[in-house]
Amino acid sequence: MLNRTTLVSSSSVSLLPNSKPFFSVKAFSGFRSSSFSGGIVRRIDHKPLRVMTPNLTPRAMAAQQLENADQLIDSVETFIFDCDGVIWKGDKLIEGVPETLDMLRAKGKRLVFVTNNSTKSRKQYGKKFETLGLNVNEEEIFASSFAAAAYLQSINFPKDKKVYVIGEEGILKELDLAGFQYLGGPDDGKKQIELKPGFLMEHDNDVGAVVVGFDRYFNYYKIQYGTLCIRENPGCLFIATNRDAVTHLTDAQEWAGGGSMVGALVGSCQREPLVVGKPSTFMMDYLADKFGIEKSQICMVGDRLDTDILFGQNGGCKTLLVLSGVTSISMLESPENKIQPDFYTSKISDFLSLKAANV
Amino acid sequence: MAPKLLSSTNFKSLFNSVDTFLFDCDGVIWKGDTLIDGVSHTLDLLRSKGKNIVFVTNNSMKSRRQYAEKFRSLGLTSVTQDEIFSSSFAAAMYLKANNFPKDKKVYVIGGEGILEELQLAGFTGLGGPEDGEKKAQWKSNSLFQHDKTVGAVVVGLDPNINYYKLQYGTLCVRENRGCLFIATNRDAVGHMTDLQEWPGAGCMVAAMCGSTEREPIVVGKPATFMMDFLIQKFGTETSRMCMVGDRLDTDVLFGQNAGCKTLLVLSGCTSESNLLDENNKIEPDYYTSMVSDITKLMDSP
Repeated sequence: MLNRTTLVSSSSVSLLPNSKPFFSVKAFSGFRSSSFSGGIVRRIDHKPLRVMTPNLTPRAMAAQQLENADQLIDSVETFIFDCDGVIWKGDKLIEGVPETLDMLRAKGKRLVFVTNNSTKSRKQYGKKFETLGLNVNEEEIFASSFAAAAYLQSINFPKDKKVYVIGEEGILKELDLAGFQYLGGPDDGKKQIELKPGFLMEHDNDVGAVVVGFDRYFNYYKIQYGTLCIRENPGCLFIATNRDAVTHLTDAQEWAGGGSMVGALVGSCQREPLVVGKPSTFMMDYLADKFGIEKSQICMVGDRLDTDILFGQNGGCKTLLVLSGVTSISMLESPENKIQPDFYTSKISDFLSLKAANV
Repeated sequence: MAPKLLSSTNFKSLFNSVDTFLFDCDGVIWKGDTLIDGVSHTLDLLRSKGKNIVFVTNNSMKSRRQYAEKFRSLGLTSVTQDEIFSSSFAAAMYLKANNFPKDKKVYVIGGEGILEELQLAGFTGLGGPEDGEKKAQWKSNSLFQHDKTVGAVVVGLDPNINYYKLQYGTLCVRENRGCLFIATNRDAVGHMTDLQEWPGAGCMVAAMCGSTEREPIVVGKPATFMMDFLIQKFGTETSRMCMVGDRLDTDVLFGQNAGCKTLLVLSGCTSESNLLDENNKIEPDYYTSMVSDITKLMDSP
């Protein structure tokens, strides 16, 4: 299992009077556990936004199988849940989830859902939860589509600049809600190009950021458009919603994930993106700030080591791996795996059964 | 040593120390489908002086045979298929050299050129341009199928890249035991048309790295795999060869890795300021604006 760490080194946004903002963002992500340094992203109001806490040394303790669920539940105030492989698989709810969430709420716990899946907006996720019979508020959902828009807001991305989107509807909806102008998205999936003499692809010089995420309508037109913006528009940002290699689009198998589309743009631009989704802690810092929560009071629950668990560890919270998604016990225990959550269990409804066992 | 601008003072010594000139194509001989000025005359002149000429291109869209046709259509009728070493050819040769079993298949994310070279080498290719029309379905009950006998995925420049191909290639590499992941090349951008640069194979390869979490075997420049064929063909040492290209991290690095002399031309994707930039660590022996400068220098006293 590869360690994947994502970090952002210093990003400075300076806004001098009567001048256009110049965005300079350096970001890089390492795909293997190697030396790297944490950094600070400064927002326009100079409030530091910590993005990364490196945790390179192998954890002294291997993950413990969850036995005393009560103890874990009582030790934190907030549970952050990943969605795919934790709450649902494709469009099927995982067994015991509604009762588990109800139990936690009854105990006064705050529930938050953080997903790297950028295909839907928070509102659309809200509907998905509703359809599956789960009582979840849109305000409790943080998708990487939302994260991209929230990031642009946090750096006061100018409203007269545009965003080129290589991704699906969710990103477009969130940008719209945040008041940003965008180009691209699924419609550009229909555009063809013909490489012939005299043909020139034009691109909008007002594009100040390219946001790349999971895109089932990916094509050469979009790659070129995004590449031209990043390479030729001065100060153009290159933002990735996430870099998951594979994702469970359907419950039956893995599908090439956002890491593929982002990889393509890295290949043509030879630049690393700023990643707003897990394992980058942008969303963690955002919701901790928004809800006024202490990181030590949070438990991150997820099925993927190199995004969910690393996200929790980077954020300084407790971590619980569930085996109801992409990670198996043998992957967790493999000598190649360097990411050890605090606890692991088969699925979240173990909170109920383990609890019952301890009564 | 800093790269020397090719001039009448240093040209003769380069010319006399080299028997074989290796030319890159995009940005050196042509730009897209437009021949660069003066190239035809220069190649004829070099041949008339007894120099060997070979073309080494990372562009895997065409086979050697198709490249020979392109040369002919641009008026360069003296170029034969045997003088062309495309990365499409390199991919097929790599599989041959490594005894890739004939009962295994090769999934191709790339152009016709790769499929043709594979077929010529006796391998069964799947995918290629026709998969550009295919769309993936994602319903609960349907499974995206892939051929379990695919033993290698070859990725090159593909202007018809789509999600279907990425998914197919990803499943082969991740799920077929021992499946090879081969890249024809990793050029970030190239002059696919005369007016601007376009994303290169490096883009498609990086997309596959992103989903497979694996690094590919690269057969094109700057890897020196193709050099073995060239040495065999001419029976000369690489020190008596000169690589002429427009890209530092493929052409010049290829030449340096193989021990050849290197000449950068500025008619393609590298400008003088790119070359002289303090961040640039790749220094060719010589540089000049374009291939036809060779004619001017040969004619000068």
